[in-house]
Amino acid sequence: MDATILNLLRDPAGVPFYPVVFQGLYVLTWALHIAFVLLALGSMGLSIYGSTQQKSDSNWKLLTPHLIQTGKLSISILIVLGVAPLLFTQVIYDPNWYTTNALSGIWIFIFIYALIVGYLMYYWYYYANKAGRASNTLIGTISFAILVFCGVLMHNFAVESIQPDKWLAWYAPNGVVDTSGLNFHYDLIRLAFMVSLVIPVLGIFLQNYSDFLSTRKDFTSKYIEFTKKLGTKTAVGGLLVSAVLFILWMLQENMLLSVISLATIAGVVVLLLMAKMNKNSYITTVVLVVVALLISGVREIIRYNLMADHGYNIYTYTMNIDWPSTIMFLLTFLFLGVTGVAFILRMAWKVGKNEGTVFDGQNDKLTRVLGTATLWILVAWMGIYFAWGMFTLFKNTLV
Amino acid sequence: MDMLGLFPVFYFPEFGTAWLMGITGTIHVLFSHTSVGAAILFAFLAHKAYKEDRADLYVYMKKYGMFLLIFSYVLGSITGPGIWYTATAASPRGISALIHNFVWVWATEWVFFVYEVIGVFALVYFIGKIDRKTHLKLTYTFALASVGTLALIIGIISFMMWPGADAYFTTGSASDAFFGVNTFPHMFLRIGFMIMMSAVIGIFIASAMKKENPPLAQELTKKMGVVAIFGGFMTLFFFMWYINTLPESSHVLLSRLLPGIIMSRLILTGVFTAYFALAIFKPTWIHKSLAASMIVVILVAGLWPGEKLRESLRKPFVAGQYIYSNQIIGRDVPGKGIKSEVEVVAKNGLLKVSPFVPESLRVITPENKLQAGELLAKMACSNCHSLDKNGKYRPLSKLFPMNDKGALVSYMKDVIGTGSVPYMPKIVLPDDEYDAIATWLVEKNK
Repeated sequence: MDATILNLLRDPAGVPFYPVVFQGLYVLTWALHIAFVLLALGSMGLSIYGSTQQKSDSNWKLLTPHLIQTGKLSISILIVLGVAPLLFTQVIYDPNWYTTNALSGIWIFIFIYALIVGYLMYYWYYYANKAGRASNTLIGTISFAILVFCGVLMHNFAVESIQPDKWLAWYAPNGVVDTSGLNFHYDLIRLAFMVSLVIPVLGIFLQNYSDFLSTRKDFTSKYIEFTKKLGTKTAVGGLLVSAVLFILWMLQENMLLSVISLATIAGVVVLLLMAKMNKNSYITTVVLVVVALLISGVREIIRYNLMADHGYNIYTYTMNIDWPSTIMFLLTFLFLGVTGVAFILRMAWKVGKNEGTVFDGQNDKLTRVLGTATLWILVAWMGIYFAWGMFTLFKNTLV
Repeated sequence: MDMLGLFPVFYFPEFGTAWLMGITGTIHVLFSHTSVGAAILFAFLAHKAYKEDRADLYVYMKKYGMFLLIFSYVLGSITGPGIWYTATAASPRGISALIHNFVWVWATEWVFFVYEVIGVFALVYFIGKIDRKTHLKLTYTFALASVGTLALIIGIISFMMWPGADAYFTTGSASDAFFGVNTFPHMFLRIGFMIMMSAVIGIFIASAMKKENPPLAQELTKKMGVVAIFGGFMTLFFFMWYINTLPESSHVLLSRLLPGIIMSRLILTGVFTAYFALAIFKPTWIHKSLAASMIVVILVAGLWPGEKLRESLRKPFVAGQYIYSNQIIGRDVPGKGIKSEVEVVAKNGLLKVSPFVPESLRVITPENKLQAGELLAKMACSNCHSLDKNGKYRPLSKLFPMNDKGALVSYMKDVIGTGSVPYMPKIVLPDDEYDAIATWLVEKNK
């Protein structure tokens, strides 16, 4: 597929802002999305093991339902966070995304319904475990397998999208058009690396969990120590496996000595040391976020370079700047995004620390201020929305 | 040679690809509407519980919230992006037009969506764990954020029908595209439906609480009945306004379909008015199985035909009255520098201007005519029509059962090719391509 065709597949409406901004937002939101994908799969996978141990081991009896709850929340969050990179990739890499979707149309459909079945089964697993049913491990395992399968399908879409030289051969092998949408392709090393990240993310989460509960008197020091050790062991082992696979992936892409690849390796080494020492897991998590951003950046550089080799450059996308909608997003992101999420996280932190008593948000100045500010931001937002809408309508229909 | 940015075709046998999108869309509408309606209902209940110091209402909210988490937020949040995925496979340039006009609107909706999804967990799990005033504040913000998601998506789906004024075509502005004459009636129509749906689910939850707390179940069933009547009335009222803000092309099809629509809506209104009256006056008669059945009735008899109708009414376009359902740009949009592609296709033919057509099919020969005809039918017709002989979704073979190739070519050339059917795209092709499609269809009909 040459540059002329790739550029022709771009949307003729152009993009409403600088492409680099969409690229940056893609890298950022993909990193956030994948963090919760990894946490969901990790906590779910370990909970399945826990479900086989919880009858005879008091530590696992406590940890397993917490892991299931973590998985449940993480799936919801990964879905909502996943919407953003899906949106931004369609803006600047629309030729890639839309071709892939058509080539693998049936898998796209299967992906959606597999995700629904997998997540609904996860709730079933949650309730079965809560009720102490013997079938819980089996239900959890099937749900886990379905959700892993969804991850593999997403991998397929990503891998197909960066091989424009093969699109026509996949669509019309030997000149015979195949509209079945059954194309399925994978890159084993890249997939193995992505899946391996489940282990260190889970390990660092367990360290966070242990640190968070260590201030609560209703959890024994024995339990705190158990989760701490488990976290450290998992994080260190997982980081070593991921590091090896990352190097293999970079060798395959011929990028091992690139700046971003070296920076990622350095980040992993720092993470490894921090996880091993486990002095402050919250700081380790900050470094983990940086490494996740670097990995997201590596993916994007691979795609950008591959497409540039085909003569496709996202920075030359036609621009029709649309200031009103751009400003709306930026202000909403800044005001509602920051204040609103901070309001809920503040409550979650306080409730989690409160050892079963009711948290009085009215006596906590920060919660009170954030809650009131969120409410007024939303009221103001609605007011502006209707005023803007009425003005536009009057302008276009009455004047 | 002029080429166009046409993508490969994905075709789902028997049903056609649009059907996949339709089913995902209908499921999404049911659950997303329920969740927004429930957010408004929660604000009302939380307000009442706080002011009247009603601890029992929190128990109800928790049960309702768990139901919402499992169904609305699992099914709603997956089928939301699911529509993107399936629409992309079925109609890539249609979804691309929406993305490239409204990316920031969608990104803004995403911010609301993040708040909503984290918020619903907080709303449900923090009951009894935070003070009631803070919880009340949370429910208010949750309700506003949920309505915000509707406020943002409504302009996009209204634009799918039409921009609502000519301004968009000259300015290319997202605001002009978003706030058309159709936007607000559409918004309030859906708010009415959301309120009704939240009450329909509310009746189901109340009926499930009959054993553990009969007086509360009765009180809530009655209240939900009143809320549902209010929502239903709002839906009907704004539906009438909405119908009057549709584009000219829709009215042609609507005039044919309206008698049937009115009859089916009257029956539905009668059935649901009776159901809601039962909830208000005889709440104990509402059994869980009846309440669950009524949810299914709404999905099958209300939403599915409603969404199918909306999809039909925007034909021949899929977005903004410039992208035809067969992915070809049907008119100029000077504000965005977009040019109509109908003329390029007419001059060169679809096979020559589509990048994904293999070289062996670019020139029609007696040997490849059937294969070329099938591919052309997939490219030009399969977005709306099933191509299989006994296909389920507007099958071509049933619409054109004849074996007279000449008659088929004449119809395509003189009717479709001139744009004489208002709800069909104007498909102008060179003679050999019309001939190939007709040859393939005649062969299919044998």
